[in-house]
Amino acid sequence: MNTDSQAAIDAATVLRPSRDIRYRRIDGEAVVVRQKAAEVLVMNEVAARLLDLADGRSSVGAWVDVLAGEYDVDRETLERDVLTFAAELAAEGMLEIADGV
Amino acid sequence: MSVAGPIAETASGFGGGFLINPDLFPARRSGEAWGGREIALTLPGGPYRFSGLNADQEATVRERFGGYCEVGGPVAIDSVLFRAAEADFRTIDVRGWEYGLDLDATPEAVRLAGLRLVGRLDWRPGLSGALWTPDGGGAAFAGIFENFLRVLVAYRFHELGGAVLHCAAVASPQGARLFLGRSGAGKSTVSRLAQEHGAQVLSDDLNALRLEAGAVTVEKLPFTGDYGDPRTPAPAVPLAGLYRLEKDTADALRPLSRAEAVACLLACSPYVNADAHRRDELFSDLLRLVPPQKAWSLRFSLGGGFWPILS
Repeated sequence: MNTDSQAAIDAATVLRPSRDIRYRRIDGEAVVVRQKAAEVLVMNEVAARLLDLADGRSSVGAWVDVLAGEYDVDRETLERDVLTFAAELAAEGMLEIADGV
Repeated sequence: MSVAGPIAETASGFGGGFLINPDLFPARRSGEAWGGREIALTLPGGPYRFSGLNADQEATVRERFGGYCEVGGPVAIDSVLFRAAEADFRTIDVRGWEYGLDLDATPEAVRLAGLRLVGRLDWRPGLSGALWTPDGGGAAFAGIFENFLRVLVAYRFHELGGAVLHCAAVASPQGARLFLGRSGAGKSTVSRLAQEHGAQVLSDDLNALRLEAGAVTVEKLPFTGDYGDPRTPAPAVPLAGLYRLEKDTADALRPLSRAEAVACLLACSPYVNADAHRRDELFSDLLRLVPPQKAWSLRFSLGGGFWPILS
């Protein structure tokens, strides 16, 4: 669990999938292998979309710009939900702060 | 986020739990053969030929694998048995101990270490095997041989684009149903209940899936727990359905998404799912092996009421 990532995440944070995970998108969902925990997980479409957006270059704020075109929800709510979800994924060890950003 | 299940841990400090000096692990397929006997096993994906056996080892294999044994004929996978020194292996108190082989994979080879065994799988370029053991026959050798063979067959099916799965397989006129789940999920319980309803249990431990001529088939393997005949081959059976097991007080079916089904199969693909060099390929193979609308979550009770709802 990466609590540093969880504490530090804001709209300017740049995240990437954790080095520990490997994932494959299947019909919108994602099958995730956590290598250290030796575990297989299924993530829903929203979580899988965030994994895709976490490319190690775009900030979480930039994700919100992209998702605003995909979901019919006001921007304030969207940003709050994305930040919360990103922090949860980081706390679960799925996302980590990108090096050198 | 839902957890489909655990996979075997990847190797770190490979072999140290079993071997006195893991640095001396054989770098190639060579050594002193136990004898001049050979035997071929007509398991799915084979035949698998083993040479270098002594008379006691051959008799042990014949006794254990019965109708799967033959002499001569074409061979798909070639393996050799070599002697190992007793002093190479740690003495392990197995009381209350859960046994798991130690595997270490590279793109060219897989090394394995276990109780009184070391083995290699090499691609030269086809798959071949080598097994070193200090046991010259008998019950201990039977277990050693089977443990090696399980890994060999799993990798052979991977080579063929199929998968060996930790599951129970039950054949009925509709085809074979696979019941998957982690240890304790109920594979043997479901096998018993299905058998009581007149179905035939292929195995309650390991079975294989393969895509042939556009159809997914279930292949019986001689690796069984409490249910299934480990000495008699059977023809492949078309896959009727995949069922992820969950014990409950009532019986119910829910369709699995393709991601859930693939995750379940991945968690139940022993050895290969822990191989970082082959996991991507395994993912792709499993996607092809999951037929549309044939994967389910099965909540089942101990009363056996689940069997009618499968139809």
